[in-house]
Amino acid sequence: MEFEAVIGLEIHVELNCATKLFCDCPNQPGDEPNLNTCPVCLWFPGAVPRLSRQALEKAALLCLGLGGELQKESAFDQKVYYYPDLPKGYQLTQARLPLSRGGGIEISDEQGVKRMLRIHHIHMEEDVAKLVHEMEGRTPISLVDFNRAGAPLVEIVTEPDFRTPQEAMDFLKALRNIVRCVGSSECSMENGTMRADANISVRAKGSDRLNTKVEVKNMNSVRHVGDAIAYEIARQVAAVKAGEAVVLHTRLWDPDKKATLPMRAKFEGPCVPDPVVPAIRLSDEWIEELRARLPEMPAAKASRLLAEHDLSARDAAFLSEDADLAAYFEALIAEGVAPKMAMHWLTTQLLPALKERQQDVSESSVKPARLAGLLNMLARDEINANAAREVLTALFDNDKTAEETVNALGFRQISDTGLLEGMLDEVLRTHPAAVADVRAGQGKAMGFLIGQVMQASQGKANPKLIKEMLTRRLAEQGKS
Amino acid sequence: MDAVFSFINPCADHGSGGGLLGGVRVALQPNVAVAGWPAEAGSNALADFKALEDATIVKRLHAEGAQICGLTRMSEFGCGLDGSTAGQAVQAELADAEIVLDMTGESRLCAANLYAFKPSYGVVSRVGVTGLMPSMEVPGILAREPGLIRKLLQVLAGSDELDFSMPDEPPLSFAAQAVDPAKTKIGLIKESLAGLSGAQADGFAASVAELKQAGFCVEEFSVPDYGMFALARRVIGAVEASSCAGRYDSVRYGQREAGAKNWNEMYLRARGAAFGPLVKSLLFEGAYFQFERYSAYEAACCLRSRLVAAMDRLLEKVDFLAVPLRGQAAAEGALPLAETYAKFSSTLFANVTGQPVLRLPPVDSKGQGGVQLAAQRRNDGELVALGEYILERRGKGGSDGV
Repeated sequence: MEFEAVIGLEIHVELNCATKLFCDCPNQPGDEPNLNTCPVCLWFPGAVPRLSRQALEKAALLCLGLGGELQKESAFDQKVYYYPDLPKGYQLTQARLPLSRGGGIEISDEQGVKRMLRIHHIHMEEDVAKLVHEMEGRTPISLVDFNRAGAPLVEIVTEPDFRTPQEAMDFLKALRNIVRCVGSSECSMENGTMRADANISVRAKGSDRLNTKVEVKNMNSVRHVGDAIAYEIARQVAAVKAGEAVVLHTRLWDPDKKATLPMRAKFEGPCVPDPVVPAIRLSDEWIEELRARLPEMPAAKASRLLAEHDLSARDAAFLSEDADLAAYFEALIAEGVAPKMAMHWLTTQLLPALKERQQDVSESSVKPARLAGLLNMLARDEINANAAREVLTALFDNDKTAEETVNALGFRQISDTGLLEGMLDEVLRTHPAAVADVRAGQGKAMGFLIGQVMQASQGKANPKLIKEMLTRRLAEQGKS
Repeated sequence: MDAVFSFINPCADHGSGGGLLGGVRVALQPNVAVAGWPAEAGSNALADFKALEDATIVKRLHAEGAQICGLTRMSEFGCGLDGSTAGQAVQAELADAEIVLDMTGESRLCAANLYAFKPSYGVVSRVGVTGLMPSMEVPGILAREPGLIRKLLQVLAGSDELDFSMPDEPPLSFAAQAVDPAKTKIGLIKESLAGLSGAQADGFAASVAELKQAGFCVEEFSVPDYGMFALARRVIGAVEASSCAGRYDSVRYGQREAGAKNWNEMYLRARGAAFGPLVKSLLFEGAYFQFERYSAYEAACCLRSRLVAAMDRLLEKVDFLAVPLRGQAAAEGALPLAETYAKFSSTLFANVTGQPVLRLPPVDSKGQGGVQLAAQRRNDGELVALGEYILERRGKGGSDGV
C-alpha cells in the first residue's frame, strides 16, 4: 500500500510590539530575568488586563497579509491549566472567536506547479513565562522568568493541506517573508520569535480519511521542521505497516538524535470565556484603514519585478523576500543600472560586504546612488570589474561618490589604444612562447597575455579592449 | 485586636483636607489595595500580602479629601459574610461610609439600618480590588444616608483607563435631581415574594406601603424565570471563581508548603492550606463545571442572557423595581455553600444582571428585611435620588403610621 501524509501546522509568531499584550511592560523577553514585570503580568490580586492596541493592529495587519478575513467580533477565552510558567492558572487566548478566519499562502514546487495551502484561522494569545531548570547543590530547582509572560503572540492554524515536508518548509519560509513584510514580527525560528508545531498523520494514498495525528514540537529551524516531519511520517508508516495503532500524543524533535521522542499524552484544558477582557469589535472603516497600510506583499512584488525587469523568476522571488533589498534593487534601476548587473552586484558583492560588516541593507553606508554611480562607470568601461570591487570596499570607508573615489584611487581604466599598443608590443616581444601557444589554439595563453598587459598597466587597462587588440594583432601577425 | 477593624490607618489626619469628600471617613476592606497596607482579602492565600499601589478608587478618594480610616474584617475573598464586620464601622459611627465588594449581595445584606448601594456593573473601577467573580462583583457603598452615597459615586464612578473591563460608555450624572412620585412607577416581582418568613413579609409590606403612601404607583408583575437567578449565579460565579483563584498557586506570592515532591503536589498543598472550606467548595464546584460539565456552564450563560433580557423588558414598563430583602446577615457564622447561596437568594439577581440596587433600611428600625430598589443599568443617579427622596420623607415623618 502506498501512503501519504496529512500535515497541518500551528505556528506561533511573537509580535514585535513595544509592550506586552495586556500591560505596559516592555516586550523584551531577553532582558535580565524578571525585569519586565508588573502586577498585571504577574497577576497580583486586583490586576486588570488591558489589551494593547498596537498588538491588535500588528496582529490584524498580519492576518490581512496572509489573506485572512478579519472577524467583526473576536474575544478572549481562558485556557485553563496549571503550570508554574502560567501565572494565573489560565492562558488568555482566542479559542472560540478568533481574530481572523481563512487565508492561505500559494507555494510553487520545483516544476513551478502552484498549490494553495490554506489557513483555518489566526488568533491572538499571550505567551507564558520561561522555566529554567537548575541544580542547587544536589537539589533540582526550577526558576521562573516572567519577562516573557504576557508577550503578544498570534497563532496561525493551517488546514491539514500539506502532504510533504518540503511543502511545510516552503510555507514557513513564505509565511516568514509575509510577516516580515507587514512588519509585525522578526519571525525567526532561530531566535524563538516563530515557533512551529506540526500535526502529522498518515493514510492510504487517495483516501480522504483523517487518521489519528501526532503533534511534534521543538523544531528550532525551518530545516528541523522538514526533518522532523520526514522522520515522523516514516515512523508512522512503519508503525502502521507493523500493525501498530498510532496514538494521539505529543512528541519532541531531538535534532541531535534526528528523531522524534514521545513527550506526553496530549492535554486539552477547558476554554472558558474571559469575563474581563472585552470583546474586540472591528469596524469596516478600521479594517479598510489598516488594509490601506499593507505594503506590497512578497508574491505580488515578485510578479511585478518579473514583469518590469529582465530578471529570472528565482531572482525576483529572492528580492521579494526582503523588502529592503528589493527597494535597494529598484533604487539602482532608477539610477540607470541594468537589472542583471544590479542583481549580480547585489548578490555577489554588496550582500557579502554587508554581512562582513554586520550591516543590514537598510543601514548600508553605501547608499544605492553611490553604488549605482560605480556600476554605471563599470558599464561605460571607465573602470574594470577588479577595480570596481576595490572601489566598493573604499566606498564603505568614505563618504565620497564613486567617481571621486575612482579618481582618488587612480583606477580610471586606460582605454587609450596608443598607450595600450606600446604595452602590447612589449608583452608580445617578451613572451613568444605564449604567442605560439595562442596560435596553437591554447586559450589559456590568451588569458596569460592579457594578464601581462594588465600587470604592465597596474590594473588600469581595459581588459575587453586588450583582448580585442591582442586578437587583432595576432591575426595580423598570422597573415604576415 | 480591634473588634471591627483589622487595620487602622496610623496616619489619622490623612486626607482631612478639602475636596468633595473633605473630612469624610471611609472604611475599606482588605480586598481594596492601599499602598503598603495589608491586602490579604481575608484569605490565607494572601497572608501577609501588602498592596504595592493604590487601587483606582483609593486614588480617587484621596484626591477628593476622604480619610481612609482603616480596613474592616472580611470573609475569605468577600465570599459570604462569615467573619465579616462589614457595616459595623458605619453603624458604630467609626466611619461615615464603607466600601464593601458586592458579589452576591454582601453590601446589601450586611447593611442593617444603613443605606447600601450596589452600582451598575462597569461604573466603578475594579483596578486594585481583589475579587473572585469579575462579571458579577462591584464595589458597593454603605452609608447612613443616600446623600453621602451620591457624593461618593460622584468621586468613584467614571471610566478608568486602567480598567479595560469597563464598557466604553459616557459618564453618568450624579447631580441632585427631583423625584415626582406621581410620574414614577415601581414594579414588584411576584415570584420574588415567595418563601418570605412572616417577619420578612411584614418588613417588605411596610416598605411597599411607604412607597404607596408617598404617592408612587406600585404594580405587580411576573418574571416566571426569577427563581433561575440563583442557578445562573451559582454556575457562572463558581466557574469565574475557579479561574480567578488560579493565580493563588504559591509561585509568585503566598505561602509555599514544604515537602512537595513535584509541581502538582506543590499546588495541592499550597492551595489546600490557603483556602477555607467555603471557598474550597466554590472552587471545586467551578472546576467541576469547567472540566466535567462545561455544557452546564454554557447553559448557565444562555440563562443569564435570558434573565437580563427579562429584567430589561420589565424595566421598560416601570422606572424602578422593589424587591424584598431576606433578613440580616449578622452573626451568621460559617455556612456551607448551598446555605450561603440561600442566604443571598434575594440579592444575587442584581449581580447576574449588573443593574444598580439601593437597599433601604427597614421602615421600622427593629423590623426585619426591608426593600431593595433596583433600576435599569446606568440609572444609578435616578436610584440614589429616589433614596434621598424617601429619606427626606422619613425625616418629615412621612412614613409614620405605616
